[in-house]
Amino acid sequence: MNLFPETLRKCMLACALVTAILLPTQYLSAASVDDSWADIVKEARGQTVYFNAWGGSDRINAYLEWAGKQLKSEYGLTLTHVKIGDIAEVVGQLEAAKAVGRDIDGNVDLMWVNGENFAALKRNELLFGSFTQLLPNTAYVKQAPSITHDFSVPVEGLESPWGGAQLVFIYDSAVTETPPQSATELLEFVKEGGRFSYPAPPAFHGTTMVKQFLSELTADKAALANPVAEADFDAVTKPLWAYLDELHPMLWGKGESWSTSGEQTRQMLDDGEVDIAISFNPNEATAAVKSGQLADTVRTYTFSEGTIGNTHFVTIPYNAKAAAGAMVAANFLVSPEAQARKADPEFWGDPTVLDIDSVPADMQAKFNAIDIGVWALPLASGKTLSEPHASWAQALEAAWIERYGQ
Amino acid sequence: MGSSARSGMDRALRPISVFLDKLITEAVPHTVSSDRALPVLAAIGVVLLFSTPLLIGLTGTIAPAFGLMPELAPGNGFAQLLEDPRFLPALKLTIKTGVIATLLVLLFTVLALVCLHKTAWWRWMLAALPPLLAIPHAALAVGLVFLVAPSGWIVRLFSPWLTSWDRPPSDWVVPDAGGWSLIAGLVMKEAPFLLLAAAAQLPRLNVDALLKIGLTLGYSPARCWSRLILPTMYPRIRLTLFVILAFNLSVVDMALLLGPGNPPTLSVLLLSYVNEPGFRAAASAGALILAVGMAVLFVVVMLLERLIARLANQRRESGHRGHGSGLFRQIGKYLVLALTLCSILTIVALLLWSFTQRWRFPSVLPDTFTSRHWLGRSDLLLDPLLATILFALFSSIATLVAAVVWLEAERLGAVKKIDWLWYVPLFIPQITLLFGWQAASLISATDGLWITVAYAHWVYTLPYVVLILAVAWRELDPNWNNAASVLGAGYWKVLFRIRLPLLIKPVLQAMAVAVAVSVAQYLPTALLGAGRHNTLAIEVVTSFGGVDRRVIATLAVLQSLLPLIVFSLALFIPAAMQQKQRS
Repeated sequence: MNLFPETLRKCMLACALVTAILLPTQYLSAASVDDSWADIVKEARGQTVYFNAWGGSDRINAYLEWAGKQLKSEYGLTLTHVKIGDIAEVVGQLEAAKAVGRDIDGNVDLMWVNGENFAALKRNELLFGSFTQLLPNTAYVKQAPSITHDFSVPVEGLESPWGGAQLVFIYDSAVTETPPQSATELLEFVKEGGRFSYPAPPAFHGTTMVKQFLSELTADKAALANPVAEADFDAVTKPLWAYLDELHPMLWGKGESWSTSGEQTRQMLDDGEVDIAISFNPNEATAAVKSGQLADTVRTYTFSEGTIGNTHFVTIPYNAKAAAGAMVAANFLVSPEAQARKADPEFWGDPTVLDIDSVPADMQAKFNAIDIGVWALPLASGKTLSEPHASWAQALEAAWIERYGQ
Repeated sequence: MGSSARSGMDRALRPISVFLDKLITEAVPHTVSSDRALPVLAAIGVVLLFSTPLLIGLTGTIAPAFGLMPELAPGNGFAQLLEDPRFLPALKLTIKTGVIATLLVLLFTVLALVCLHKTAWWRWMLAALPPLLAIPHAALAVGLVFLVAPSGWIVRLFSPWLTSWDRPPSDWVVPDAGGWSLIAGLVMKEAPFLLLAAAAQLPRLNVDALLKIGLTLGYSPARCWSRLILPTMYPRIRLTLFVILAFNLSVVDMALLLGPGNPPTLSVLLLSYVNEPGFRAAASAGALILAVGMAVLFVVVMLLERLIARLANQRRESGHRGHGSGLFRQIGKYLVLALTLCSILTIVALLLWSFTQRWRFPSVLPDTFTSRHWLGRSDLLLDPLLATILFALFSSIATLVAAVVWLEAERLGAVKKIDWLWYVPLFIPQITLLFGWQAASLISATDGLWITVAYAHWVYTLPYVVLILAVAWRELDPNWNNAASVLGAGYWKVLFRIRLPLLIKPVLQAMAVAVAVSVAQYLPTALLGAGRHNTLAIEVVTSFGGVDRRVIATLAVLQSLLPLIVFSLALFIPAAMQQKQRS
């Protein structure tokens, strides 16, 4: 049997190539933007919706678990939370999928985005299309500039609003009597021995912090509302870098080590390693106190001249396999029922995107019954600064890394 | 666009078939008699299953790095990489942490041998090593952060009564920018590995006799080790040392948790590239540079070995006896014990946190306890636990089958030994292999499938299983077989009733190691799983960003429990079977 290796040579080649040659099954997703809601609900039944969303908070994960159960019993669809660290990864995966021609049956049906990631998806045509006008619950959504525009980029129905957010600070009133009220006061605060850290960009909270500093310090505030390409970047950001150069050596980690997330600053606040934690959720402190992660004496505040606020959304990628199911899920996430639970610090504490006056009376009562506690900050009680145009994030991140990332 | 990407891949895959061809010609004797056809076929199946993803993975990394897959990875990867101001610092950091950690692992092992062997602590140490080895990297890293942070357990133990610190000091932070936290974690994880490998060699080297001879000739015990024993031992553990160096240079999960973030180590930086739009070419180029850098370091180490051997020879011939350096051995002993104690403390700290409701600085123990993280969070624990167990079960059983198939074929003379092959995945940085494998899985739409991830676990566990089992398999007295055959037992009966039961101890040990390796796999699961297979390793690393320390601790303890249970079973089952036979 001398021919053994000869026969094998052929098997082998087949074996080696088999994974590379397998084609994606070629059938088209039936959902389209012209369907009626009833058709969409019917088509969604039995589908599995892969929802790619940040999975770093087990309260949010638990909320999505609840949403999955509701969707299962009400619409017969399965919502699978694909927990990811940074949604930018998913944007990258979608670009890769488009590059290799995986234009149908993608891995992602629904994703949690906003800002520069939405801008990238829109720019590269990685979105399913305008769908929010199909969702019945869109009728309850607040009419506000931060909802029609995502970091100054027009939303145009391409993503469905999910929650409101504002940069807030948490401090322990038993340790710190008067927390700093502005970027300039923060500098004084650390000079006098106050402990502070912000996550290194491109971590989300870190980038937001840098945008906050820039919004306060720059002389040309109007430039931030437009694409960064239209501005004189060096001139606009000059005061920012001067400020950071002075601030960094006095931070936790002395400008060499950085916290990695807003959540980490919360843990560091509780450990006493910093005096101020950064959050994008005005109700986070309440949730944390109730679950035993922060002391009873913590309070939440914003800078006196305001902090950056925005809206976060869910959207459907262009190659979603279960687009109908994704729409049903998006509709549920923006329903008064789901939004009321989400706004309750008991479960998540994320401010609603609904106009509470427009929802049915029984649901209004539910919203009004939510007790956010003394630890949190009622939404819109602090002044809100609008996000710079989405293009600023990447430019600021690159410039920050160039200066401080090595 | 899709078809052109695929044809690019086909073109790139052609060298693979040439390589596989050579590999098989090497392993298979030129003429195969017909009664050996089955074992040959099966053994070749194992080799193909094992080496195909290695080759596809390498190709899928090399091709984009050189711009051969422009659809998937546009641009010049090497240029992109050099433009990033973080690249060179990240490379330097990687070499620094990898090399220093490996040297410290070696130092720890030597110190433990010289200072602890023949003392009362030695048995105790040997008993502590296997459980420490079984602790997954991510779990150890999470525990270590809490142990050594300024607000961590060690400071809490001595504050404020000794240090007068009412608040955590701000003199250092964890993880630190210099990478020392990462080095500490790597040493704690890898030192038991090398020491256990070294301890396993002691009986073969006839250490007791060597010591006696040395002492009689008037050498101090430390000198006996450095002049007589270590030179013969080193060649036997150097492959393990190289595996450790390779691991330290390319580790991802520990570097994510313990390493500096700005810049991070090279493998972490590259992992962030591969997920960033338009940066796959740079990621692949970086992964290649890491692999080449690792090869260069191997050569450097081999040159160092020669240099040291020459110096040692000169000193040996000098005949210096040295004075009994008792103090040195005392210090060494306490150093080794302190480090081992630290490893144990990390696990205890995790256990405490998993039962904590509140635990504020500077309390030495939790202020309030709760069992709700264990009992009330089945939503959080059960799915990852199940996913982890399924991969571990599949890995341990499928690798055992594959290893037995290969070793039996080898025993029957159907194939020749090719031990080097099994080391290949241990010597290629995981990212270098997996970036390419991920690219191939994207193109073939096999990413996110359970079997794809399970396959990767199999590839990464098989080396350990084959290499552990091979020793016992090759040593087993052939007379057992012959006797059974004479009595008329067929091949399968001999295999299942004689060989496997006789080898039950190494078989179970190999399976336990397979479970431990599978449970700890982070990168293959993360890259090939498309986020759909959340094992405990994945949960520990991702939930680290969400920072509920109590939840992370619970996940980490659960992740550590699995291998610990399996290792205990591997010890207990053969003992119980022996007992049963006796009675």
